Amino acid sequence: MQEIVMPRMNQDMALLCLLIPLLPFIGFLLNGLGNRKFSKGLVGFIGCSTVLVSFLISIYLFLDFKANGSQAYTVDYYNWISAGSLRIGFSFLIDQLTLLMLLMVTGIGFLIHLYSAGYMSHDEGIGKFFSFLNLFMFSMLLLVMGSNYVMMFVGWEGVGLCSYLLIGFWNKNTNYNNAAKKAFIMNRIGDLGFLLGIFLIFITFGSVSYPQVFAEASKLTGLDTPVMIGITMFLFIGAMGKSAQIPLFTWLPDAMAGPTPVSALIHAATMVTAGIYMVIRSNVLFILAPTTLEVIAIIGAATALLAATIGLVQNDIKKVLAYSTVSQLGYMFLALGVMAFSSSMFHVLMHAFFKALLFLGAGSVIHAMSNEQDMRRMGGLRKALPVTFITFLIGTLAISGIPPFAGFFSKDELLAHVFEHNKILWGVGVLASFMTAFYMFRALFLTFFGKFRGPEEQKHHLHESPAVMTVPLIVLAILSTIGGFLGIPEVFGAEHVLGDYLAPLYTYARSINPAAFETGAVSHELEFILMAVSVGVAVLAIIIAYFMYIKKEEVPAEENARLAPVHNLLYQKYYIDELYNSLIVRPVMWLSNAVHRLVDVIVVDGIVNGVGRMVILSGRTLRYAQSGAIGFYLLVMVCSIALILFLNFFIG
Amino acid sequence: MTESLFYFLASLTLLCALMVVISRNPVHSVLFLIITFFTISGHYILLNAQFLAAVNIIVYAGAIMVLFLFVIMFLNMNKDSESRVKTSTLSKFAGTIAGGLLFVIMVAAVKDTTIAGYNADTFTSQTGMVETLGAVLFTQYLLPFELASVLFLVAMVGAVMLGKKEAGEQHF
Amino acid sequence: MTSIILLSIFGIINLFVGFMKSKRILLPLSLLFLAVVFGANLFSWNEAQSYFNHMLTIDNYAVAFTGIMVLATLLLLPFSQHYIEEANENLAEFYSLLLFSLVGAIMMVSYENMLMLFIGIEILSIAMYVLAGSDKRRLRSNEAALKYFLMGAFFTGVLLFGIVLIYGATGSFYLTDIAATAAVNDGTVNAMFTLGLLLLVIGISFKISAAPFHFWAPDVYEGTPTLFTSYMSTVVKIAGVAAFYKLMAAAFAASYAAWFPTLIAITVLTLVVGNIGAVVQTNFKRMLAYSSVSHAGYLLMALVAFNERSDASILFYSLSYALATIVAFAVLQYVSEQRNGDETYAAFNGLGKTNPLLAFAMTVAMCSLSGIPLTAGFFGKLFVFTAVVQDARLMWLVVVAVLMAAVGIYYYFKVVIAMYMQPAADAAKIRIGSFASFMLIFITVFTILLGIAPALVSDLL
Repeated sequence: MQEIVMPRMNQDMALLCLLIPLLPFIGFLLNGLGNRKFSKGLVGFIGCSTVLVSFLISIYLFLDFKANGSQAYTVDYYNWISAGSLRIGFSFLIDQLTLLMLLMVTGIGFLIHLYSAGYMSHDEGIGKFFSFLNLFMFSMLLLVMGSNYVMMFVGWEGVGLCSYLLIGFWNKNTNYNNAAKKAFIMNRIGDLGFLLGIFLIFITFGSVSYPQVFAEASKLTGLDTPVMIGITMFLFIGAMGKSAQIPLFTWLPDAMAGPTPVSALIHAATMVTAGIYMVIRSNVLFILAPTTLEVIAIIGAATALLAATIGLVQNDIKKVLAYSTVSQLGYMFLALGVMAFSSSMFHVLMHAFFKALLFLGAGSVIHAMSNEQDMRRMGGLRKALPVTFITFLIGTLAISGIPPFAGFFSKDELLAHVFEHNKILWGVGVLASFMTAFYMFRALFLTFFGKFRGPEEQKHHLHESPAVMTVPLIVLAILSTIGGFLGIPEVFGAEHVLGDYLAPLYTYARSINPAAFETGAVSHELEFILMAVSVGVAVLAIIIAYFMYIKKEEVPAEENARLAPVHNLLYQKYYIDELYNSLIVRPVMWLSNAVHRLVDVIVVDGIVNGVGRMVILSGRTLRYAQSGAIGFYLLVMVCSIALILFLNFFIG
Repeated sequence: MTESLFYFLASLTLLCALMVVISRNPVHSVLFLIITFFTISGHYILLNAQFLAAVNIIVYAGAIMVLFLFVIMFLNMNKDSESRVKTSTLSKFAGTIAGGLLFVIMVAAVKDTTIAGYNADTFTSQTGMVETLGAVLFTQYLLPFELASVLFLVAMVGAVMLGKKEAGEQHF
Repeated sequence: MTSIILLSIFGIINLFVGFMKSKRILLPLSLLFLAVVFGANLFSWNEAQSYFNHMLTIDNYAVAFTGIMVLATLLLLPFSQHYIEEANENLAEFYSLLLFSLVGAIMMVSYENMLMLFIGIEILSIAMYVLAGSDKRRLRSNEAALKYFLMGAFFTGVLLFGIVLIYGATGSFYLTDIAATAAVNDGTVNAMFTLGLLLLVIGISFKISAAPFHFWAPDVYEGTPTLFTSYMSTVVKIAGVAAFYKLMAAAFAASYAAWFPTLIAITVLTLVVGNIGAVVQTNFKRMLAYSSVSHAGYLLMALVAFNERSDASILFYSLSYALATIVAFAVLQYVSEQRNGDETYAAFNGLGKTNPLLAFAMTVAMCSLSGIPLTAGFFGKLFVFTAVVQDARLMWLVVVAVLMAAVGIYYYFKVVIAMYMQPAADAAKIRIGSFASFMLIFITVFTILLGIAPALVSDLL
């Protein structure tokens, strides 16, 4: 965070900034209110055009920002919350990070909206779908543009709510509802952490607005004070929930129950990166608590590895992508933990490109397969779906870290920083990267190569998706190919565009802990070696996958087949869901049922109804109310009074 | 003299109040209640508050008690209905113990408190007389006095509303 | 003061209008009366004045709470349409009792003398006892009235005992005199004073259904006709909490140490009992009863905080809570009436398909009650919590409350799930009058407006 130029009073600018989130909101209102009357085309047009205009405005803002010397500024609208000493303005903070997130959210958001217009065109509830999607955009934009933690929290809750609504979109299926509920509850746990973090920030710094909080924080001396560890830990719990880190990650794979564009937009490209945005935004606070950063790094690495291992054996194409998302998010947190904030952001951006691409590609496959998601029923789709195949291949290469695709640069830079910090974590990262390459190519080979394994009649229905769906794929494929050049490593002598661009964000943090931002500790030779290792590992993984699934034409076992113990453990996701179920869900249910039984069933149902019924049966006397319940209630209350008085007068 | 009278009245009050709760026959209960009111009026007289003593007898012992008796007679209770709604021994015990506990705790809490005594120089013995009371009621306490009428109006409207027969009403 | 006089007169006029054959005039007339009172009340803004030998003071605190309570009554009355349709012969009495009980409620937020507090509470309570039993044809309603009356009478005794003990210890009914006596004696005059204070706390806790004195609430709320349950859980509760805060701030601020431990215990217990109790309910109305217990807990948190933010956060919370609760009860009333008196969650199945408006209003209300952002309820909770965290030692209380709020979402969303995700058993559309629909829209918009621009209300006090 650098010094903030206080409100630049420019009416037009303020209006433009406001329009960015407002347009999707208008789209939400229009589609939400008129979803029965509008034609499907109109619904799609409203949904897409509002986001497109937001994107164009974002580009304008971005250019304007550069032209005006890259000075961060806030735009104040009105005094949103004013309650005594607590004054929170409804205002936006426009700086490098916000603009980057804006471009990413609206840009990719627009492509996915466009794609949805094709993907959902056969669905009855398309109006509802687009209105939720637009509401999501509104909340997400509020999240990234807000200039204080409360606005971020409002957006944070909003995106959670939309995610919940969209996961359960096809709500006829109970499993889908359970997935939605699970996502909601897990996110709530995170949100509680976030909320408590905000309260702690408010107590400590007397404000929740970024400029004030960070300016105050930069004056603090001493690292690792308990209060800073408390604040950052609470914030990180929030990030854990939203960005699916251990132990709150199990909702994300289940969230794949929603329509595929939703998975691409919310559960891959944008919402799940909100946690990373939050940490980068609060980098000053996190720099003050190295212990928390250490925890973040370890959890990130563990998540990356754990999710990658589970991904190795999944058969549902979307599940594979979901676990790879969890794994990639783990990478990003690993980078945050070693204070490589810009690298993490770089990976967020690249990941948004290639993961959105992969999901949309998967969506295109599912579309062609009439909603079949099991890779064991696919195969040989290369010929039927050429565009999808090529773009999916590019996405796979990008995520595997093959140069010169996007994932190579970001992952490599990230791992180099990790290596500098801790060799063991780097080892974990490389191992996860090996697995990533393996399962992604496994998915690619199973889906697009070999013979078609589905039912015969299905084979004749295979068709490439319409242009409205393939165009976004192509655009994203191009971005996944060239996006990496935003951050060419120093070794190649070019400028690190993104890194330089984001540098002003860390002015405060750098003044507190200059050591964290020193670069170049790794020699060029070593950097080349690291690059070679990660590429080599990926290539090795691809070769193994090639031999297993192309040469030997292996097909994963059927559902009821006996699996080797390790394989089974992985296939059942380490039984984590079952573990949570028996450790948390069941005891809680038991407890509340016990309370219920004690208070309600025995007292109310037992005494009131039991005695009441008896009284009614025995001739409907007017003494109904003397059924004992009142006597019992009064007894408890009198005992409470006696207890209160006793404690007050004779204890303490 | 006054002191021994006070103790006599107080113990009688407590005894009768207890009997109101204990006696099985509702008519006996009401009769004990009437004695309780009379003894309380006795306390008022001891405090030199004749007006309150008179009002207490007229309103409570006179009007309200008669009403109680009427209701009991209307309900037409016989031996049969009495035996049906027996309170269990357990709840009697529980009630007694809980009430007793509360009583003991309250007494224990305030037993050592010295009450700020009245100032003998400024105290007028006429405080409880109707003249003073009237003056206070219609000057200082005029507003609560008037608003109490809203309270009675509410009670009256409610009584009429609930008492009125209505189509489809059941007797429970 | 004007509002008290006007309401008393209007109540009597209403009774007389009730003699007329047609009852149709009653609702518009009552709404007009309430609107007049609401307007008249606003004239006292910033013109603090005390009346009749300081019996009551109409200051901004009183005006704000009076405004909210009158507004709540104004908003919930239109949902009494079905009484008009079935030509209930007691309609005039219902409206009059509501108007009279508002007199009591206003006394509770503007009193300066304990006597006024007591009479106010009694006016309010007695009207409620009657209205609880107003549906004479239903056993449940009769039972509710009797239960409420018996327990209420007991705690009126406790309250009165408390007032008397305070009088004995300080020699005055006036809040200022009590505060003055307490201040010169380090807040604790003697044991009698403390005992009186605790009994007062207990008595008022009963009125606002705080645990462990909440036992009456579920039974009474369930049995009472829905319209009056709605009134009970909004106006009565708001008046109780406002009176509680005024009492503590004006008379017992110096005795903070004497009542604080008790109050914080009651608060935590209320939060836990209310929320856990609500989770296991299958009857929606009973769930709302427990939820109203839990909201008493959040309101009490502001009282526990006891700083300059308390009154404003109570005000905002009360308003947001009242708006959402009125909608919840109104929708429940329409649904259960037209679906065979079914008050369980299942009655709401498929409402999203048959009645999008009702379902949407209900969803917003549930979001507001559970504290989801962009609804008034979020800021209600936020303000209360920030008031509490001003004292960093009370952070744990906020942690408990936030956890309980999370539990709350679970049961509030049960009905949302039922409305949108369960197939309708009975696909019939719920009929609802256009005026009532308009009111629902109005309240919903108001709820969202307060969620976007809370500053409209939050800085009044």
